[in-house]
Amino acid sequence: MSGVVGTAMRRVDAAEKATGAARFTGDLALPGLLCGKVLRSPFPHARLVRVDTSAAERMPGVRAVLTGGDLADLDPYYGHAIKDRPIVALERVRFIGEPVAAVAADDEAAAEEALRAITVEYEELPAVTVLGEALAAGAPRVHEGPLRPGLFHGLGDLRREEGNICYHYHFARGDLESAFAASDVVVEGEYTFPAVYQYAMEPHTVIAQWGESEITVWASCQHPYLVRAELADLFRVPLSAVRVIVPYVGGGFGSKSYTKMEPLTVALARKARRPVRIANSIEEAMVTTRRHNMRCWMRTGATRDGAVVARQCRIWLDTGAYADNGPRVAATAGDAAPGAYRWRAVGVDAWAVYTHTPPAGSYRAFGAAHMAWIGESQIDALARRVGLDPLEFRRRNLLRPGEEVRPGGKPLDADLVGDVTKVAAAVGWGTPKPPFVGRGVGVGLLAAGAQPVSTAVLRLQADGTVVLLVSTTELGQGARTAFTQIVADELGVPPSRVRVAGADTQVTPFDRSTGASRSTTLAGTAVQRASADLRGQLLEIAKRVWGLPLSALTVRDGAVWHETDALPFPELLARHFGMVGGELIGRGEVRPERGSGSYAEGPVFWEVCVGGAEVHVSPETGQIRVRRLASVADVGKAINPQLVEAQDEGASLQGLGNTLFEEMIFENGQLMNGSLLDYHVPTTADLPDAFHTIIVENGDGPGPYGAKGVGEGALAAVPAAIVNALADLGLEIRDLPVTPERVLRCLGVLGAPAGTGGAAP
Amino acid sequence: MLRPFEIHEPTSIAEASRLLADHGEDAAVYAGGTELILVMKEGLAHFRHLVDIKTIPGLETIAYDGAVLRLGALATHRAIERSAVVGRHAPLLASVASQVANPRVRNVGTLGGNLCFAEPHSDLGTLCVAWDAVIVLARDGEERSVPADRFFTGVLETVREPDEVLVRVELRPFGPGTGGAYQRFAMHERPTAGVAAVVATRGGVIQHGRIAIGSVGPMPVRASEAEAMLAGAPLRDEALREAAKAVGRHAEVMDDLYGSAAYKRHVLTVLAARALREAVACAREEDA
Amino acid sequence: MAPQGGEVAPRRELALIVNGRPAVARIEPRELLLDFLRNRLGLTGAKRSCDVQVCGACTVLVDDRPVSACCFLAYEARGRQVTTIEGLAEAGHLHPLQEAFIEHGAIQCGFCTPGMILTALTLLREVPTPSPDQVRTYLKGSLCRCTGYWKIIDAVVDAGRRMARAEAARR
Repeated sequence: MSGVVGTAMRRVDAAEKATGAARFTGDLALPGLLCGKVLRSPFPHARLVRVDTSAAERMPGVRAVLTGGDLADLDPYYGHAIKDRPIVALERVRFIGEPVAAVAADDEAAAEEALRAITVEYEELPAVTVLGEALAAGAPRVHEGPLRPGLFHGLGDLRREEGNICYHYHFARGDLESAFAASDVVVEGEYTFPAVYQYAMEPHTVIAQWGESEITVWASCQHPYLVRAELADLFRVPLSAVRVIVPYVGGGFGSKSYTKMEPLTVALARKARRPVRIANSIEEAMVTTRRHNMRCWMRTGATRDGAVVARQCRIWLDTGAYADNGPRVAATAGDAAPGAYRWRAVGVDAWAVYTHTPPAGSYRAFGAAHMAWIGESQIDALARRVGLDPLEFRRRNLLRPGEEVRPGGKPLDADLVGDVTKVAAAVGWGTPKPPFVGRGVGVGLLAAGAQPVSTAVLRLQADGTVVLLVSTTELGQGARTAFTQIVADELGVPPSRVRVAGADTQVTPFDRSTGASRSTTLAGTAVQRASADLRGQLLEIAKRVWGLPLSALTVRDGAVWHETDALPFPELLARHFGMVGGELIGRGEVRPERGSGSYAEGPVFWEVCVGGAEVHVSPETGQIRVRRLASVADVGKAINPQLVEAQDEGASLQGLGNTLFEEMIFENGQLMNGSLLDYHVPTTADLPDAFHTIIVENGDGPGPYGAKGVGEGALAAVPAAIVNALADLGLEIRDLPVTPERVLRCLGVLGAPAGTGGAAP
Repeated sequence: MLRPFEIHEPTSIAEASRLLADHGEDAAVYAGGTELILVMKEGLAHFRHLVDIKTIPGLETIAYDGAVLRLGALATHRAIERSAVVGRHAPLLASVASQVANPRVRNVGTLGGNLCFAEPHSDLGTLCVAWDAVIVLARDGEERSVPADRFFTGVLETVREPDEVLVRVELRPFGPGTGGAYQRFAMHERPTAGVAAVVATRGGVIQHGRIAIGSVGPMPVRASEAEAMLAGAPLRDEALREAAKAVGRHAEVMDDLYGSAAYKRHVLTVLAARALREAVACAREEDA
Repeated sequence: MAPQGGEVAPRRELALIVNGRPAVARIEPRELLLDFLRNRLGLTGAKRSCDVQVCGACTVLVDDRPVSACCFLAYEARGRQVTTIEGLAEAGHLHPLQEAFIEHGAIQCGFCTPGMILTALTLLREVPTPSPDQVRTYLKGSLCRCTGYWKIIDAVVDAGRRMARAEAARR
């Protein structure tokens, strides 16, 4: 071992990024590349009566104008969970911002002029733009007819229940009624969570080229193999005829998971017969995907001596006009709802609901971020009711490692009591508090890993350098760096001898996805196995060369060793191939250890969401100042502690934004704050006064060296910790974000709390 | 992206004024451009002729003649923030200029552009109204002076005629016993509310106070009820508190994305109290 | 309002210095500096993100001062010195700020990094060894969605100290 695993090795991509040399999809230049622009619907629900593109088509510089009429030879619907979304609007539009037509032109100016020349006649239809309307009896339907499963729904039966519900997730254990009857104290409430924008700084950008034998796509996507599959399916070509290349990605956070702008760009390139780039603006990115807004009802019961008994929860998630990842978000929210407690009975229902709003999909820590603060605020309320310190209440009731979290799923694989004790100490738990200062902790679990299928290929070159082929995309999380560290240690070569290729589906092998905190754990294991495979081949060659048993050989410092004799890798290759050249190829794969790796059998691991907060509330303005914030990065083993901290710090600040101010505001389906002038993303001014990441390494993860994923947990933990810190001050928070105005209403300064929008379902 | 336009480069106010007159509604004065280019990019406005007044010499000058501080229209926020003259005679202005947006905008955006654009959330607009700044507009050979509280007429609207150019802003530094302050509350890029106050005191009595509120309505306006309460009031915190309450109570406030009218009224009261206290503290220092 | 379509404004010559080298082009007045740099000169380090001067991803320096190139006409750069992230390293040696960003792990996806580094550079020119609070205040108009800012602040503080030490050593 050269010993770089566990060190804060410099990122392998840092110098490129610090000098501006790193290329993102928007930075690529291709001969003949056209500029694509999209015409979007101004109505939440309307019938397309007529789309007239004739004037646009005649304009100088315009190469193609795409409408639904160009897709007659295809089954133009996609959606990895539910095939409900047309490439471009067909007979009707279902949200404000839905693509109605697209133009490919020589330059941006010509493309924009052409958009202005397209005339569309709409017939407005009644719309359901909030959950209450969508769930009302007799509500207009967003989609008619049966739901068609997508290629990767992985969630069992997708039969529609009724009306606008696109997916229902349910589980129950024990007898709820008798458990609540046996509870001495019960807390109950209704809660809301807003729609939130991921704000990856690079908006979705795609280049597509329709070639004779191959569709080539450069995309800012997180999951190139899933995009490839959907494109092959849509355009009726074999998987091998679609090539998806992912340059550096300017942040994902879920906004670039699954298929987004790729089908439209390919369809436009197909018509133009020239490569086309579509680059979303921020406002377009905001209506391409978002976090689900949610309503929730929950009740939780406990005994008077402080034992939790039962929890019941109903969750309605607004998935917008198309399902996108809504079913999975509903399932993950359902899984997060019970939290990490020992229940006598628990019952959860989660519904993904269609509305005439922009589609909602993945955003970092989905489900857990929605639910942890609600469940944890009820835990605190119960603790107060029975007269116990919230930390002590948790110590008594939290699951211990090995205990069942969800029937049939993975048992708990983390020390939550240890984790929460650490964050509590970091925010000064138990020490005197100044006026208007409150403290809180939050504990949650996030079903992480998605499906455990990843592969990796490692190519040892004649000069002893190695090239790692893996389709994990580099979104900023540092996957290429962590993989470099694993390969370096496994092969005994310096990191400078390892190169990680960018994802390219014609070159790098299958990886299910980059998200769900899975890459180090799953793709990292494939990388480790590929390294072991390669090491085995090297040992076999040395064994032949030297005629020694394997037990007499070791691999280190770029060579196979027998006592003090060394055969450097280049020499081994030369001996093996009889020439200078040739290469050894190691391969590694990860597949489900049991069952199919489906959601019900998972997760791969439980990502820990444990945080603590100390807040100050201004009684004058209602402004919340976070004085101290702490999060646990319970990673099993930190392959690179600096990357772990960075992921945790970033997730924490997003958690702070989601809690205190981030909210997409819609009126009748129209996004009202579709610009960063009006949608506030956390800045340095919003930082807590102090922040602590506490790295916990118990070696209890399923990944390399006992590692497990990180990067999402804090985003669920921080809202819970802040909400409980506010509860410590007597503020009962039912709605996020906790704006200063809401704080003042809670304090009674401005009168009763404002309504929470939309009728209760 | 931007739609096509021409840029004109006049070398005198008279030439600029003629260009503006010639092209009428198709022309806009172009100074720093931080606001203008933005709205043109968003497609909210289009002008085929931009009259770049940065080619007119002398419009960026900042000078003090012993009585009046004159700030050329093209003085950037950064120049104001860092000007020794402003720092000595109007530190409050420097402080407010230093809070505008971010270093990039402060480096390019100008005082004149900020006021002429009349964005309702302008901190400087609110400050100028409270300070009784004089805004000097010019066209071919003639100038007129407009008090800041009569300059703004609505959202993105001022009394400036299409062929006039704002050439400078004139401020009188606070004399002995007078102090000023600006308080803002922001949760977004633009403030939710802002209050500027200038208070003149003598011998334990408030002679008069000027209060302006911004960001909550179409334009910065004076809080005249509160001002009336201050005139002649004893220099005690209770008087300031009561005046602050009047600011919130009488303000014309709109509900918007940044909060309800009720919330903004409340915040105005809080900010007014802070601003008045700070202004009075500053007046005492000036007095000493 | 102008008529639709087919409009062109007369092109004008633009001559400026970019990263120390002269550049000349005939441009339309409406051309933005960001598009000029990215599309004509292939300098893609400055990024387009918010497009409304809030995020700072498109920051470049004009006569050593930061501007949002997304809302700054290329015309404004006539006769002036423009510095982009590509012009920061000298003779293959990274600038101390670049070094510090790399070492402190202040870079993740990298989309904000060019603008962040150039903005930090303008701070260090005014305040050579800023405190963490001074960095925090100055950078509040530059967004990063990945890092949580802590490592960026550490990097800028550290770069300031390093540059001051190097400067002292030179004297």
